[in-house]
Amino acid sequence: MKRLMVKLERCSGCKRCELACMEEHSAQKNYCLATLGAPEPKTRIFVESINDRPMPVVCRHCNEPLCVSACMAGCMQKDPVTGIVNNMGHEQQCVGCWMCIMACPYGVINPSFDVAQTGKNAFAQALKCDFCPERETPACVVACPNDVLEAEEIKE
Amino acid sequence: MRYVIIGSSAAGAQAAEELCALDKDSKIVVVSQEGYPPYSRCLISRYADGRLLESDLYFKTKDFFKKCGVEENLHTTAAKIDRAAKKLICENAKEIEYDKLLIATGARPRFPKIDGLDLSGVTCFHSLDDAYRVAESVAFVKEAVVVGAGFVGLEAAYALTRLGIKVTVVERCSQILPNQLDIIASKIIQRDLEELGVEVILNESLISINGTESVYDVTTADKAHIKCEFVVIATGITPNKELAEQAGLDTDRGILVDEFLMTSDANIFAAGDCIEIQDVSTGKRTLSATWFNAVLQAKFASHNMAGGRRRYTGAVGIQNAVQFHQIPAISFGKTLIEDESSDGYEVISIHSGNVYKKLVLKEDKICGMIFVGDIAKSGFYAALIRQEVDVSKYRDKLLDQDFSYAYFKDENFGQMDPYKTIPACWGSPVWWLQRAQCMGIGS
Ligand SMILES: Cc1cc2nc3c(=O)[nH]c(=O)nc-3n(C[C@H](O)[C@H](O)[C@H](O)COP(=O)(O)OP(=O)(O)OC[C@H]3O[C@@H](n4cnc5c(N)ncnc54)[C@H](O)[C@@H]3O)c2cc1C
Repeated sequence: MKRLMVKLERCSGCKRCELACMEEHSAQKNYCLATLGAPEPKTRIFVESINDRPMPVVCRHCNEPLCVSACMAGCMQKDPVTGIVNNMGHEQQCVGCWMCIMACPYGVINPSFDVAQTGKNAFAQALKCDFCPERETPACVVACPNDVLEAEEIKE
Repeated sequence: MRYVIIGSSAAGAQAAEELCALDKDSKIVVVSQEGYPPYSRCLISRYADGRLLESDLYFKTKDFFKKCGVEENLHTTAAKIDRAAKKLICENAKEIEYDKLLIATGARPRFPKIDGLDLSGVTCFHSLDDAYRVAESVAFVKEAVVVGAGFVGLEAAYALTRLGIKVTVVERCSQILPNQLDIIASKIIQRDLEELGVEVILNESLISINGTESVYDVTTADKAHIKCEFVVIATGITPNKELAEQAGLDTDRGILVDEFLMTSDANIFAAGDCIEIQDVSTGKRTLSATWFNAVLQAKFASHNMAGGRRRYTGAVGIQNAVQFHQIPAISFGKTLIEDESSDGYEVISIHSGNVYKKLVLKEDKICGMIFVGDIAKSGFYAALIRQEVDVSKYRDKLLDQDFSYAYFKDENFGQMDPYKTIPACWGSPVWWLQRAQCMGIGS
């Protein structure tokens, strides 16, 4: 299973990972175009700071994910093979109840206020790291100029 | 092992799933009063107003029990637990033997003592059947009254409003969501609802529902009459503890369990809305009453039923996330304090427009939170409450925009640590190699 690892000392706080994340998860796949249109692009990785040092806060795709236990729609699931925790692409759909946001100890799930236009029903969605399913390596890892982020193969 | 589970909602279904994975050779039997595959009670309002289909409510998928090889008994009510013979006796006379039993009977609506509850057009809002009733009401109802402005009442009010019905909510307390929110937060959410056309009457209770066969109006304590054809009663829930009580297990308001979710009988466990928990945020025993609690408890209980010893700690009674219309809100832990200066509680808050954030602190810890309008990172604060983390070092930063998990990097909340340290010091060959790598030299 792959997880995102962070070599903290190397981070310079350039936030290119955030931009790459927004870009990857926008319909336009381009940051500038995405800011002009809807939905408003939102990052799913967060470069926070403490004592003037940058610190990326990432989704850990936990072994025992609290967001999954909290999900009352059953759409937040941990994939038994890849280990990736995600609320999209399952039989059940995200209804924007925000229980996962309340449950995630790292604060890396956020609400989208733009209602999803796809599907028969329109609900705001909870947004979280999905490990970029369309890519081999997540966009943030590719974008990082300092080799801070790494998609590492780990055993559970 | 023979595992028997009573109830197949949040707690029951989760326990069945866990037990299947934990003990492959076991026999698992689920007994459920209701006639559906496990469905999400929390989503019934979204079904009632047509935003979801019935199939969307099946949070474990429709044929989940079959897939796991669980024996499912729908429309079957457990009537008695024979602890001596280790047997469950159902109302249809079916007897089911167990080695370990899980009581996940949840809760049922509580009704006020008023006249007219038996009229047609009066319903509670607790099950899929109730949701059908609300969905069908649209054909003959123009005006409806919802009794109780708690979470369930407002969900029902919102659904009815979306169906084009004029709704009046009657609440006894001086604010909506009296158990979850304080007065400031409740006003923001109330305004949000009123924008949709929901009418809220506070400080008022119902004394009777009037009609001959079906409802035509209700009378309030003020002797006012509100015309309506439909009444939803949402005045709280009460745990289904009777089965346990009659079997001689320890109960109080709900079923009493130890930190392993075991009842006073070592072969019987309980989880979900039917139990009482020790709330870390208040230090008091309280009802469990949320989906998240039910699922977590089921995980721990099933582990322990299969012979494990996992301690269930960090329970919190109040944990709600709501968004009826535009404004999201989250309340967690001890949010209501009778007198802010007493008992050493302290409150910090910020409020501007529709954004309101409040933290309740006691000694060095956060014990409650209300976030309205901006709910980002609320889970992080919730974790600080659950894990009773000392925040005294950051006292004056707690509600800053940039206060985040970064401040507690060493606190992994029980999960894998993604932060790697690079074993190199400044100036060493390894350090230079890494810098060179960072700058893209040699790659
Ligand atoms: C409208 C509504 C909205 C809600 N929204 C939220 C929300 O947003 N967030 C949240 O955290 N919580 C919410 N809740 C609460 C949440 O639904 C409950 O906390 C959760 O369902 C508890 O699950 P449970 O498995 O303990 O019990 P229940 O869901 O109450 O299920 C118990 C089951 O056991 C069955 N049963 C009882 N006695 C017997 C018997 N003797 N024999 C056989 N079967 C029996 C019952 O029929 C029932 O199917 C909501 C509740 C309602 C009604």
